[in-house]
Amino acid sequence: MDEAPLVEFKDLVVSYGAVPALAGVSGAIFPGPTGLLGPNGAGKTTLLKTLLGFLEPDRGTLTAFGLDPTKQSLEVRRRIGYMPEVDCHLPGMTAAAFVAFAGELSGLPRDEAISRAHEVLYYVGLGEARYRTVDTYSTGMKQRAKLAQALVHDPDLLLLDEPTNGLDPSGREEMLALIRGISERRQMSLILCSHLLRDVEQVCENVLVFNLGRVAAAGRIADLTGPRRAVYDVRVKGDPAAFLTDLKDQGCEWREGEDGYRVFLGDGAGPELIFRMARESGVQVRFLRPGAETLEDVFLRALGHETQA
Amino acid sequence: MPIYEQTYRRHQARASLRRVRFWPITREALRLILARRLFLVLLFVACIPFLARVIQIYVVTRFPEAGRILPVDGRLFGEFLLQQWLWMLVITIFGGAGLIANDLRTGAILVYLSRPLTRRDYVLGKLGVLMLLNLSVTFVPGLLLYLIALALAPDQFLKWDLAWIGPAIVLQSAVMSLVMSLVGLAVSSLSRSARVAGIGFFAVVAGLEVARGILYAMYRRPETALISVRASLQALATALFGLSERAVSLPWFYPAGLLAVVALGCLLVLRSRVRAVEIVQ
Repeated sequence: MDEAPLVEFKDLVVSYGAVPALAGVSGAIFPGPTGLLGPNGAGKTTLLKTLLGFLEPDRGTLTAFGLDPTKQSLEVRRRIGYMPEVDCHLPGMTAAAFVAFAGELSGLPRDEAISRAHEVLYYVGLGEARYRTVDTYSTGMKQRAKLAQALVHDPDLLLLDEPTNGLDPSGREEMLALIRGISERRQMSLILCSHLLRDVEQVCENVLVFNLGRVAAAGRIADLTGPRRAVYDVRVKGDPAAFLTDLKDQGCEWREGEDGYRVFLGDGAGPELIFRMARESGVQVRFLRPGAETLEDVFLRALGHETQA
Repeated sequence: MPIYEQTYRRHQARASLRRVRFWPITREALRLILARRLFLVLLFVACIPFLARVIQIYVVTRFPEAGRILPVDGRLFGEFLLQQWLWMLVITIFGGAGLIANDLRTGAILVYLSRPLTRRDYVLGKLGVLMLLNLSVTFVPGLLLYLIALALAPDQFLKWDLAWIGPAIVLQSAVMSLVMSLVGLAVSSLSRSARVAGIGFFAVVAGLEVARGILYAMYRRPETALISVRASLQALATALFGLSERAVSLPWFYPAGLLAVVALGCLLVLRSRVRAVEIVQ
């Protein structure tokens, strides 16, 4: 990466009272869309909250735009738009008033905040419903209103915490398309925090996989999931125990897939190895399809419960 | 093809940070509160004692002998402000109970605190709402009443030895509004329900006043005023306006000290409760 990182953290330790949430993590987030991936409680949201200056690190450093969020929180927050995971709206306020108010709180002059609020609400698809109070919105509409309030002041970095929470499949696709549009067409950097692989895969170029308060994997999704290893989806007939043991002896790894096994071959090995091992262990190969490592594979490997080697 | 597409576009002009950042919070919260018709009725009803006092001043200036039953002097303003305490109580319950509680319930606290605002800005913004509402039923009518008294009975009020009335009205109104607003906000921050916060606020203020009444009935000592916010405000007014309230007759610094402690306690509560992240130890 040639560009300077937007966010950089080194040996960062953050705790909630006595409970550590980030245990000495280091990493960097570069311009463009970046995903924070990990199971619930992995430390993704804690990183966002530290970035916003809500939490103070116990140890280590974190900088955003070269600024320290603990000491220069106002400057940092001025350049960040935050869409929280939890529901957030002001009771009794219309979406137009709510988003304009959010813009004003971010420092926009009142007239400009009002005009930006209308633009942003149109953009997120709430143009027709902008004079309704947010309390009366459906979950999907509330998510869009949350996105609008995060965008209204045109931040340099957008933090999206589980933006597809509670959305039906079509609502989710629409929300992801919106987010992709913001990143691609509006050239805005964003951090998408999710436990859903597909969401991150659809929107982001880079990913940081969190597990138990640590960064378990980081890099470009293309690099992490690239053709580093030959991968095959295999279905066999017969007792697979000996077949799998033989594969393991040949330096391969495998894990159970949806319908069969996902086999990760060792260096230089090809599909003929699978056929040979099947023949030797007396099972029939009923299905064999070449594949590539997916983000799910990377994610599971990073979480340490992937393959049997 | 549309001739103008109303859509999101980048906004390059970034304004510098405002110095007074709390005002939009105060303004929007006031707008929402004053949009409730019942609240406007409440503010109107709170003006009735003011009108009654104006009539009292007018009658006494026209018929001086009426002054024996309804004396018009410096004490009138202190008594008027203490009467208005009841309206402050009602306004704080209906206007202030949800100010922080609702933000905690709906997650709106994150909308505020993820912006270039400090927690102090947020509290100041919310405090501004209650201060303006409470001052509108104490300071504004109190000062207006004084001006009317000066206009209707200049020979009675336009004297150097009564020049303390104006500053006393300002001071008493400011202390009453500040303390009631802070207590209201602190209680609001302790709950996620505006209803619970309203009941809690009433229970704290009224409960302490009842306890004071019981203790006073038992011991007949004015120091009992120091356990109640209401009685402490009354004691301060007694000292400032020279009222003849034996039950709360104390040197001014006793109630002033107690009220300062209450205000400080409320600020500490707000400091620990107004957070973007709730940490359960």
